Amino acid sequence: MVRRRYHDGLALHQALPGQFLPFLVAAMSFLAALALAGGIAAHGLSQRWTHGAGAVTTVQVPGPDDPAAGSGTRIAAVQDIVAHAPGVATAHRLSDAELRALLAPWIEQTGDASLPLPAVIEVHTVPGQDPMPPLLPRLEAVAPGVLVEHDSVWSDRLAALAASLQACALLAVLIVMTVAVCVAMAATRAGLQTRRQAIALIHSLGAMDSYIAGRFASRVGLLALVGGLGGSIAALPMLLAMSHLAAPFSAMTDAQAVAPMDWHSPRAWADIVPHALLWMLLALPPAAGITGWITTQLTVRAWLRRLP
Amino acid sequence: MFRLHDVSYAYGGNRAGVAALSHISLDVAQGEFRWLLGPSGAGKSSLLSILSLEVQASAGMVEILGVPVMQARRSNLARLRRRIGTVWQDFRLLPDLSVFDNVALPLRLQHRAEDEIAHEVHAIMKWVGLENRLDARPLQLSGGEQQRVAIARAVIYRPALLLADEPTNALDERQAGRLMAMFHRLAELGTTIVVATHNDAIVEKYPAPAIELAHGHLVRDYR
Ligand SMILES: Nc1ncnc2c1ncn2[C@@H]1O[C@H](COP(=O)(O)OP(=O)(O)OP(=O)(O)O)[C@@H](O)[C@H]1O
Ligand SMILES: [Mg+2]
Repeated sequence: MVRRRYHDGLALHQALPGQFLPFLVAAMSFLAALALAGGIAAHGLSQRWTHGAGAVTTVQVPGPDDPAAGSGTRIAAVQDIVAHAPGVATAHRLSDAELRALLAPWIEQTGDASLPLPAVIEVHTVPGQDPMPPLLPRLEAVAPGVLVEHDSVWSDRLAALAASLQACALLAVLIVMTVAVCVAMAATRAGLQTRRQAIALIHSLGAMDSYIAGRFASRVGLLALVGGLGGSIAALPMLLAMSHLAAPFSAMTDAQAVAPMDWHSPRAWADIVPHALLWMLLALPPAAGITGWITTQLTVRAWLRRLP
Repeated sequence: MFRLHDVSYAYGGNRAGVAALSHISLDVAQGEFRWLLGPSGAGKSSLLSILSLEVQASAGMVEILGVPVMQARRSNLARLRRRIGTVWQDFRLLPDLSVFDNVALPLRLQHRAEDEIAHEVHAIMKWVGLENRLDARPLQLSGGEQQRVAIARAVIYRPALLLADEPTNALDERQAGRLMAMFHRLAELGTTIVVATHNDAIVEKYPAPAIELAHGHLVRDYR
């Protein structure tokens, strides 16, 4: 005669049915995955906007063709220093046409086309570095009156936007986790209530709190793990699609952004999905399981305190 | 084996609650058999539930099998409960478990091996005469049969202290006699036994020292 091992009267498959909890946890894991994906995407974009190609420094050199303090013209001296500084990716002197196009609104207002124009060098820096401030004394020495402007208004605004998006994502994840904890608690309490006679009996037969709490917690932990797995799998297609759409904006090089996508290559998918996102999807089910397990342990142990 | 000193108990808290036991002091040694007597409502079941660690005394000192109950940690109380067997007045069988699983429950909670459990269950169920009802559900049994299952569950783990609340009220005379014989045998082997009853006939037939309660007070403790 084969008898099932856990005939201890708790009948957890009745006390904690296997449909309700996994479904709710799956729905919440799905929401958490979307929120986290939003947060990771915002982080990725803000990285690019604040440190990447979006950050441009302009160097204005008035009287570019006047002789410099050392030798040559002022503009040549400045260009020489800037172009060879570490941390500078490119230093491009704007042509007269580019400059006039840039200044067109002001020039038209004054109506004076023969205004003496300064030379402007557009400096793209290596992501994550800000090499200009240490250069200022040297630039000032060769070309007094030189003006360095870090064009950070937009990147600052974008960074602020990205930061608030990340904060929203974090808040959403915290709310989802709180709701998940409440759901696990409510399900556990309901289960305890339906099996209270059996629990009181095995308690009086000498079952430890740790045994009863462990039995409930492994059931809820397992159901939450399954739910988390379901939520992650459900979120995967949507996150892949979103990553694909976002790829051109977050690619670090233009070549990556315009390269045709090889739809059949898992490698290509792995490339466009940020690795943080993949790790998050993998971490979500165990996180749900552990959260369910801990919540249930605490709930059951607190509930058992009513028994002497 | 157990000692009570000035123990009181009130259902629903000391102040507003119903006083079920007042200032009970008792000292029962290992291997003793005691009747617990008194009219209905005297507090017999209440005293047994203190001894079976189902409730905490509201006041006084309780020591069971050498453990001071009022100061003991929860895990120690759980371990102590494994050495106390109880036959409750209302049996407390789990309706959704088979008779086998009900009787096996205490051994399963002690993580005994399944083949050892099967052996023990068959032996004790044979003794109570229900070896062919192992797969039945408790509610498919008569009152007397349920009572015998409850007795089997209480003695299967060979407790050091055995408490029985009206264990013969659903049994016929022959079965009651067999049960009393088993109690005396267990007492000889060192089990301390307290049996509550208001069945005067059986007390007369099997004379033994008695604890007598009335209105929650100890009126007699004689040997
Ligand atoms: N759960 C309870 N809540 C409140 N009062 C209770 C409860 N159980 C018992 N009582 C009261 O405590 C007193 C003692 O009850 P107890 O059950 O101990 O009596 P008893 O001697 O076992 O009676 P019986 O012989 O009828 O089983 C009674 O007055 C009863 O009404
Ligand atoms: Mg009673």
